[in-house]
Amino acid sequence: MQRQLLYFLLTTTILTTIILATPGCSSIAGRFLARSIEQIGDPIAPVSPKLHRPIRPDTELAITWVGHATVLIQISDKVFITDPMFTNTVGMVMRRRSERGLDPSSITKLDYTLISHIHLDHYSYGSIDMLPQDGMLLVPFGALPYTPDFDHREIREMKPWDVVEEEGVRITAVPVQHFSGRYGFDIPWARDRGYTGYVIEYRGKTVFFGGDTGYHPELFKEIGRRFDVDVALLPIAPIEPRDFMAHNHIDPAEALIILEDLDAKVMMPMHHRTFVQGFDPTLTFAVEQLQRIAKEKNVADRVLVLDIGEQRVLLNGTDVRH
Amino acid sequence: MKISVRTIAFLFMLSSVPSLTFSQDWDNNKRLSGWLPLQAVPSVTLYSAGTHAFGFEWKVTPLSYSFGINKHVSPWSSFIVIPTYRFAGSVELNVAAQLYTSAIASTHTGVSATLMGYVPLIERGEHLTLNLGLALHRVGGETVVFKAAGISTLFGFVHLNVKQSSHPAIWITSLEFRFF
Repeated sequence: MQRQLLYFLLTTTILTTIILATPGCSSIAGRFLARSIEQIGDPIAPVSPKLHRPIRPDTELAITWVGHATVLIQISDKVFITDPMFTNTVGMVMRRRSERGLDPSSITKLDYTLISHIHLDHYSYGSIDMLPQDGMLLVPFGALPYTPDFDHREIREMKPWDVVEEEGVRITAVPVQHFSGRYGFDIPWARDRGYTGYVIEYRGKTVFFGGDTGYHPELFKEIGRRFDVDVALLPIAPIEPRDFMAHNHIDPAEALIILEDLDAKVMMPMHHRTFVQGFDPTLTFAVEQLQRIAKEKNVADRVLVLDIGEQRVLLNGTDVRH
Repeated sequence: MKISVRTIAFLFMLSSVPSLTFSQDWDNNKRLSGWLPLQAVPSVTLYSAGTHAFGFEWKVTPLSYSFGINKHVSPWSSFIVIPTYRFAGSVELNVAAQLYTSAIASTHTGVSATLMGYVPLIERGEHLTLNLGLALHRVGGETVVFKAAGISTLFGFVHLNVKQSSHPAIWITSLEFRFF
């Protein structure tokens, strides 16, 4: 009798260990996991002071970096958020390295929530539930089977070049280079869909959101031909290991090439400093590299580096930090 | 209450029904080749009726209805159940075969059918789900009705369920690893 109980406990332990350690079979995934677990006890960088009213009564264009790929964009009276991530962990394991830049309760109005892809660090169900859901939720093609029954007035799935247009707002899904799948075992059939970038146009302002992307020489030139981009929100990390990351993640040098491909007025780096990603030696490795290369290429004045929680307001052509 | 092997076989036959999950043009060969090998991963179960019998269990879901998925996709799934469908809130019929390492009523095998509901508790169920249901277990020629309760966590991969029957007094504890 006790032997059977012992079998149960032993086998449970062994199977659980095997299943949880499966990511470790891939040396890179295992090292990511180990790195995340190692840093669980590390302190979280504070964001202080935080904006209490990020939505402004009078602005042409205001951009607030909340952290990771989460950017609050206000163009005139319309408010957009990209890949909202407000939870303390990604995937219950990867812990936030910096406080979130805004309290979700400070976002009192949200017209559009834009999801670039279904990875856990970009499509956070818990984060969406912290935000107003009276607007529209846009997800990439292939993401509907991963979308719970949120309360948004409309949920729209977007294929590349699909357009949503209403009340003067025009949002276009644009192709980027990444991969998809949410739970690992669904990658074989989900990897070639379920990711996108977006271009937001409203009242003469155009913002490009790159989501997560690798570099493709034609994609961004085509987007640049079709749109007159004012601000390009571009990921810049993780960088290392480069062989592994290159297809799916641009590095700072490639972000600056995309800035030229898009012919955007300015770029704002995101997708860095918030979570441990890849094997970049420090959290600020990518942004330091970006600033150095931008200076060498003489485009530093076109690179807006925001701190987490910082807002930039473009009012009558004047750039103001908050 | 009896449940025959034929009934169980009928439930398995539902596997010929194409999955109702997606209206999208998914590559079914890729889906099947991803789903099939993972079904070989066993769960572990402990059958306690005075004495303990440890066993392995393999479970599939012929039919699932998700009340927590968005309205743009069919709520019905068959066999390939994307975890979001399940843990966002659903009711499913699953069937399982058990292989015990010690004999229960002179047999080492069993079959079961469970009607299980999943209620999302944290992060739309992705972090924690409450499981409640009813199960029929047939072991050694006897069919017994069980009440079932448990939790699911880790994106619906890990389920801890306990089943209890009063007459006869039996407890079944299972740690399940679910892929789809």
